[in-house]
Amino acid sequence: MPSFVTYLIHTLFPPTVRFPDILLIDAGLVLGGLGLIGFLTKTHRWGWLWREWLTTVDHKKIAVMYLISAIVMLFRGGIDAEMLRAQLAMPSVHFMPAIQYDEVFTTHGTIMIFFMAMPFIFALFNAVVPLMIGARDVAFPRVNAMSFWLFAFGAILFNISFIIGGSPDAGWTAYPPYTGLAFNPGPGENYYFLSLLIAGMGTTMTGINFLVTTIRMRAPGMTLMKMPMFVWTTMVTSALILFAFPPLTVALAMSLFDRLFGSSFFTLTRGGMPMMYVNLFWLFGHPEVYILVLPLFGVFSEVVATYSKKALFGYPMMVVSVLAIMFLSYGTWVHHFFTMGAGPAVNAFFGLSTMLIAIPTGVKIFNWIFTMWGGRIQMTTAMLYQMAFIPTFVIGGASGVMLAVVPADYQLHNTYFLIAHFHNVIIGGTLFGLLSGMYYWWPKMFGMKLNERQGKVAFWLFFIGFWITFTPQYLLGLKGMTRRLYTYPAGLGWHELNVISTVGAWIMGAGFVALVYNVVWSLLYGERDVTGDPWDGRTLEWSLPSPVPEYNFARIPVVHERDAWWAMKQKGQTMAHALRPEDVHDIEMPKNTPIPFLLGVSFFVLGFGMTFKWWPIAIVGILGVIACLLFSGFDYDDHHHLEADVVRQTEASLGRLQG
Amino acid sequence: MSEAPKAMTAEEAYHNENDKVLRFLEPRFHEEKFPSIQILGYIGSLILTFGAYFLVMNHVLPPVALLSVILILAVFQAALQLGVFMHIREGRGLAWQLIPLYFVFFVALGMVAMSIWIMLFKSGVS
Repeated sequence: MPSFVTYLIHTLFPPTVRFPDILLIDAGLVLGGLGLIGFLTKTHRWGWLWREWLTTVDHKKIAVMYLISAIVMLFRGGIDAEMLRAQLAMPSVHFMPAIQYDEVFTTHGTIMIFFMAMPFIFALFNAVVPLMIGARDVAFPRVNAMSFWLFAFGAILFNISFIIGGSPDAGWTAYPPYTGLAFNPGPGENYYFLSLLIAGMGTTMTGINFLVTTIRMRAPGMTLMKMPMFVWTTMVTSALILFAFPPLTVALAMSLFDRLFGSSFFTLTRGGMPMMYVNLFWLFGHPEVYILVLPLFGVFSEVVATYSKKALFGYPMMVVSVLAIMFLSYGTWVHHFFTMGAGPAVNAFFGLSTMLIAIPTGVKIFNWIFTMWGGRIQMTTAMLYQMAFIPTFVIGGASGVMLAVVPADYQLHNTYFLIAHFHNVIIGGTLFGLLSGMYYWWPKMFGMKLNERQGKVAFWLFFIGFWITFTPQYLLGLKGMTRRLYTYPAGLGWHELNVISTVGAWIMGAGFVALVYNVVWSLLYGERDVTGDPWDGRTLEWSLPSPVPEYNFARIPVVHERDAWWAMKQKGQTMAHALRPEDVHDIEMPKNTPIPFLLGVSFFVLGFGMTFKWWPIAIVGILGVIACLLFSGFDYDDHHHLEADVVRQTEASLGRLQG
Repeated sequence: MSEAPKAMTAEEAYHNENDKVLRFLEPRFHEEKFPSIQILGYIGSLILTFGAYFLVMNHVLPPVALLSVILILAVFQAALQLGVFMHIREGRGLAWQLIPLYFVFFVALGMVAMSIWIMLFKSGVS
C-alpha cells in the first residue's frame, strides 16, 4: 500500500510541479475552492446553481458562462504572459528554470487561442445571434449546452496540468518529434492532446449549431442579404470551423496514438513523417486564424454602424469580401512553414495566395472607414476599440504580407518579428474586437451598462501597453532574437528593447485590472438599461428589453429591410406599440437537462484516465459518455410549453403590451 | 404599411414545370417501420473497419496494393456513412444539403491533393 501511495504522489506530483510558486497556487486553489463550497452551502445556492446554470439550455445563460470562462482564462493566459516578460526583461535571468519557461509559453499560447478567444467568440455568438435573427433559441439548444460543457471540461483538464502531473511544454503547436514519447515522457502532452480533442468536439458542434441556426432560424423576411453583418460572419465562421477542425482532430488523435498506443505516424523511427503533422496542424491552423478574426469583423461592422449613426457602407462588398476570405483562407496554410523546404513552386503559390487575402481584408478596412465618414460618431468605449483596431490591424496585416514574401520569411521565421506580427493581429483584431463587442452588448446581456469612464481608462492602458510591448519586438526580431528563447546573454543589443517590452506588458496587465474593476463596479453600481436600446441600435436585438426574457420574442418579428430595428424606429413601427394580447400564443421552449453537464464530466474522467494511462478510470469515463448519449438519444421529453398567459404577464410587467 | 414583395420560394420554383434547374436537388425520402437498412449499414461499416484493420495488421499485401485497398475501403465507408446514417438525400423540401456537400468533396479533395503536392518535397530531398 505505501508503494502505491508513493507511486501516486510520484505520478501526480512530479518535481516539475513542485516549484514554490506552483505550491503557493495549490494552496490558493484549495482555500479558494473551500471558500466557494462554503459560500454556496451557507447561502443555499447549490440548487440554484444546478437549476439555473449547470442544466440550462438557454443560449443567453450559456453566453454568460462562456464569457466568465473566457475572462478567467484571459487572466490565466495574461499571468503566463507577464511571467514570460519578467523572465526576458533582463539578460541571463533565471526567474523560471528552462522547463517551466517552456511550460508557461505553451500554456500561454494554447489558453489564449483555444480557451480564451474561442469561448469569448462563442459568448458573443450565443448572446446575440439568435436575437439578431429573430429566433427564440439556437437550432439545437441541447447540443449548444453540450458544446459549452465539452469546452469547459476540456479547459479544466488543460488547466489542472500545471498542478497535477506537469504542463505540456512543446509550444501551442505541439510539433513532433518533441511531443514523442522518446523526448517527452511526462503526462503534459497527453493533457494537451486530450483537452484539445474534447474542447474541439464542442467547438465543432458549435460550428454546426450556428451554421444551421443562421440558415434555418431567421425571422420571416430576413433574406441572406438582409442579415446583420455579425450574422454573416457567424455563418462564415461556423463553416470555417466545420471545415478546419477535422484536420486538427486527426493530427491530435494521431499524435495521441503515437504516445499512448505505440503507433508511429509522426515518429521517424518506423517511417512516420513529422512534417505531415505540421501540414495537418496548419491545415487547421490557418483557417483558425480567420475563425478568430472574422466574428470580430462582424462585431466591428455592427459597432461602427451604430456609433456612426449610419448604415454600414458597402454591405454587399462586405459580404463578398467575407466569403472571399473564407475561400482564400483554405489556400494559404503553407506560409506557416515555408522553411520546411517544400520547394520554390509550393512556396511561391502559397506566398501569392497569402498576399491575395490582404485584398478582401483591405476592402473591409476601407468600408469601415467610409462608414465613419460623415457620420455622427459617438466616442464610446466600444467605438474606441473599433478605431484602435483599424490602424493596429493594418500594421499587423502589413507585417503579415512581409512574412508572406518567401525569401524574407526565411530570415524572419520564428523570430520575434513573427511574434510581434501575430500579436499585432490577434490582439489588435481579436482581443480589441472581443472587448468592443463586450462593451457594446453588455447592456443586452446583463441589463446594465459598463461604466464608460472606467472602460476608457482600461482601453487606453490596453492600447498604449500593447504598442509599447510589441513595437520593440519587431525590432528584436530584426536583430535576430528567436521565439521560445528562455534566456539570452548580455551584449547582443536586445536588453533595452526587452525592458521596454516588459514595461508594456505591465501596462497591459494594469489594463486588465482596470477592466475587471470596471466589470465588478458596474455590476454593483452600474447604470441600469431600462430602454432596452441604450445605444440607439440598428439590429433586432435592441428591440428587446434588457436583459432579454427567456423566450426572447413574444411574437416573432417580420423583417422588411436590412437594419430591421432601425427601419422600424424610422417608421414608428416599434414592436412595443404593435404587440396586442391576442398576438401572444403558447411558446415551445427547450427543457433544461443535466445530460450536457454529465457528458462533460464523463469526458473529463475519460481524458484524465487516458492522460495517466489509468485504463479503468478511462473505461468509467467511456461508459459515462455512452450512457449520456444513449439517454439523450431516447429522451423525447425535451421541450415544454410556455403558457401564453405567462408571456403576457411578463410582457405587461415590462410595459410592452397594448391595453 | 406596404406588403413585402412575395418572392417565389424554392419549392415553388421546383414545382414550376418550366424550371428544371433544381431538379438535381429532388429528395428521396421513405419511411420504414424497422430500420433494417441502418442495421445492415452498421454491420457493413464494421466489416469495412475490421477488414482494413486486418489487412494492415497481417501484412497480407505489398505496401502499394495495401494503401490502394484501404483507400477504396475508406471511400466505401464514407459513402456508407453519408448515405445510411447521415440521410444525405432526405428532406422535407429540396435537399439543399447536397450543395454544401459537393463543396465539401471539393475542399477535401483539394486539401488532399495540395498536401500530397506539398509533401512531395520529401522525395526530392531524400
